[in-house]
Amino acid sequence: MSSLPVDPSAGSPPPMDRRDFLRTSAVLASGLAALAASLAPLRELENFPSVEQFMQKYYREMTPDEMAKVLQRIEKEVERQYGVRPHVRDLKPMDGVEFVYALNLTRCIGCRKCVHACVAENNQSRNPEIQYIRVVQLPHGSLDLEKADHNYNPEMVPEKGYFYMPVQCQQCKNPPCVKVCPVHATWQEADGITVIDYDWCIGCRYCAAACPYWARHFNFKQPSIPKERLNPEMAYLGNRPRRQGVMEKCHFCVQRTRAGRYPACLEVCPVGARKFGNVLDPESEVSYILRAKRVFIQLKEELGTSPRFFYYFDV
Amino acid sequence: MNNGDKASTVLLGLTMAFLALAICFGLNVWGHPRRLYSIPLVDPQFTETSTIRKSYAELIRAKADLSDFDCYACHDKKKPPTIRFDTNQNIIIPTEHADVVMGHGRHNRNNNCFNCHDEQNLELLQTRDGHQVKLAESPPLCGSCHGPTYRDWEAGAHGRTGGYWNRTAGAAKRQICVDCHNPHLPKIPSRQPAPAPHPLRPLAQVSDPNPH
Repeated sequence: MSSLPVDPSAGSPPPMDRRDFLRTSAVLASGLAALAASLAPLRELENFPSVEQFMQKYYREMTPDEMAKVLQRIEKEVERQYGVRPHVRDLKPMDGVEFVYALNLTRCIGCRKCVHACVAENNQSRNPEIQYIRVVQLPHGSLDLEKADHNYNPEMVPEKGYFYMPVQCQQCKNPPCVKVCPVHATWQEADGITVIDYDWCIGCRYCAAACPYWARHFNFKQPSIPKERLNPEMAYLGNRPRRQGVMEKCHFCVQRTRAGRYPACLEVCPVGARKFGNVLDPESEVSYILRAKRVFIQLKEELGTSPRFFYYFDV
Repeated sequence: MNNGDKASTVLLGLTMAFLALAICFGLNVWGHPRRLYSIPLVDPQFTETSTIRKSYAELIRAKADLSDFDCYACHDKKKPPTIRFDTNQNIIIPTEHADVVMGHGRHNRNNNCFNCHDEQNLELLQTRDGHQVKLAESPPLCGSCHGPTYRDWEAGAHGRTGGYWNRTAGAAKRQICVDCHNPHLPKIPSRQPAPAPHPLRPLAQVSDPNPH
């Protein structure tokens, strides 16, 4: 049975001659090369999270040892990216401290120095621009935000007939942004600061939609910060560099305020319109302002967000 | 057409398709990613934290040249200077003090040097009730008229503060009245604003003609 002759042309293809082989392999090779070339856009995909970052635990579940490792990883990554060895800390809220901000609308001259001091302090992207503070110009006699303009650009400020209102994260007591986060990547800390874990954020931007103050900003692109302008004094929940696809916002400069210092926007204000402090301390400036100054408002009070950011006037 | 030819044709077709894709990507036919226009870095003058002016106390601390404050290099100790007024009761500033611009208050009642300076000792200041105040310790003098503001300043609610809010961690840096206000012309001068936020790409409909 097994010795039956088999016709070679019936089942298998005819043996390939030399020319066919060369032609097929040339076509195949050029085809593969073309395939590789056409996958060029994949090369632009970068900044994949490292395995360590991918396997990282939730901020509030990390032990101090694990956090120390994470901080080391961040320092290494920042050094690789910017050539500057940063000092990254994980600063915890202090006992008996609740931060409150007060801003004197009578004093503000709309110079926007706070905006840029904040950008410099908090390592925000310069291009595209991300700015936590938006200074709006409003005509005298109204607080109607429909009339607000943040693109004002005269030769000199203040302009006659206008006042200026810087708006940033209001650190609400009842924050809508925290409620909508599907992964709990943002939460309110004991000292009242609403923070974001940039390694936990999935970039869904629900919080940006929920915030009535336009305070949350999304990194649509990989942030670009010039090496020489990087602020190396960093905090995990604060100003460490963000990556593309995560949310960021004002965090009252946790890297400064939890170390006892004033926020950067306050330090730079040339007219002293900004006041910051611990509202639980009756001796603090903000306690005095809330107690003694005649008028203060919370922006969009009617929404029930209960901001920790108060606007007041000199009378 | 045999099998080998068919395979070659399919492969050739695929190669052509891939090549076309590669060329399109290479030439960036779809314009992806969209190019950002360049935004100039902000001038460091907008992030520096110095005060609007330097007070006498600050000049002493900085060991600056204080020869401008040596009154009796020119004035006579025994003869208090006289102030001259024009017909509209505006003060006539002598040419030696041409850098002084008088504009304290909206009315003209405060245009008298000796409302604050002590005419018997030009290196001192005096309050309206005759208390002498050193030039470097002027806030109580300002407070003798601007009571509520002085009260707010003492509580930290008026004026600039820096350093540490947490006094156990470090000292707060307080500024005095004349670190920001020129006593002769106390209104804060207007200044150039820092650049407005740049739109993602130049838009024709943005009314603000951005100089950059």
